[in-house]
Amino acid sequence: MKALVVDDSLTIRRIVIKALGLVGITDAREAADGAEALKATQEQDFDLILLDWNMPKLTGIETLRALRQAGKKMPVIMVTTEAEKSRVIEAIKTGANDYLIKPFSPDQLAAKVKNVIGAPAGT
Amino acid sequence: MDVSYINPFIEAVDTVFNTMLSVKPRRNGVKVSDGQARGELITSLVGISGQVSGVVALRFPPPTALKLAGKLLGSETDTISDEVTDAIAELVNMVAGSAKAKFQFDPPLELGLPTVVHGAGYRLKYPTRSVWLEVPFSSDAGEFSMEVTYNPN
Repeated sequence: MKALVVDDSLTIRRIVIKALGLVGITDAREAADGAEALKATQEQDFDLILLDWNMPKLTGIETLRALRQAGKKMPVIMVTTEAEKSRVIEAIKTGANDYLIKPFSPDQLAAKVKNVIGAPAGT
Repeated sequence: MDVSYINPFIEAVDTVFNTMLSVKPRRNGVKVSDGQARGELITSLVGISGQVSGVVALRFPPPTALKLAGKLLGSETDTISDEVTDAIAELVNMVAGSAKAKFQFDPPLELGLPTVVHGAGYRLKYPTRSVWLEVPFSSDAGEFSMEVTYNPN
């Protein structure tokens, strides 16, 4: 299983990648903003994307919208400080499969990943 | 002056440090800040905008920053590297994000991208109308402080 971890913070990318190891996902590519993420998805297929919201160049919600409009159906989990209910609803309506609010524990992230793997994507 | 706006930020420090660092911060009062860095400090700041505007800053002596960054990154470090700076920036990002959600504005407040300043003896210059509150903390990882200004637009 290949994952794409998208966050402008190197720290968060490391934490997320370490947490992915808890569910046996060791093949993870990193992107530091939405534009990098879109480029990565054009270059290879991913089974899962972990996506921050606030990033330079292209935000997470813009990236998610672009992915779904391009017909990419892999599961996407938003991992973000944006904790307001309206943000969660916006993300789910745009096509996020789940939503994890920072701060989070590795176990919480692992549980979200387990939850979306195998779930119908892009809905 | 209503200083109750500081409470969500204090709660956010508690939540972020406990969840991400397994560090329990202990608050040591609240005071008006003069912005002066006493000795060498690493300051991470992030702006908040929307129906209110403000800035949240976390200020760490280097030993505290190194310990906290080491905990967050999962590896000890003894140099204020780009990785340490990134970790410190992410801490203020999470504190601001966690706090802004508690205000329940619709549309939600917007966060800027964090900035980090590292040096000795510098002063943060505040706009004349702003009042900055400073909350000193102690913890097992060392002392640090949070400074917040928060103004209705």
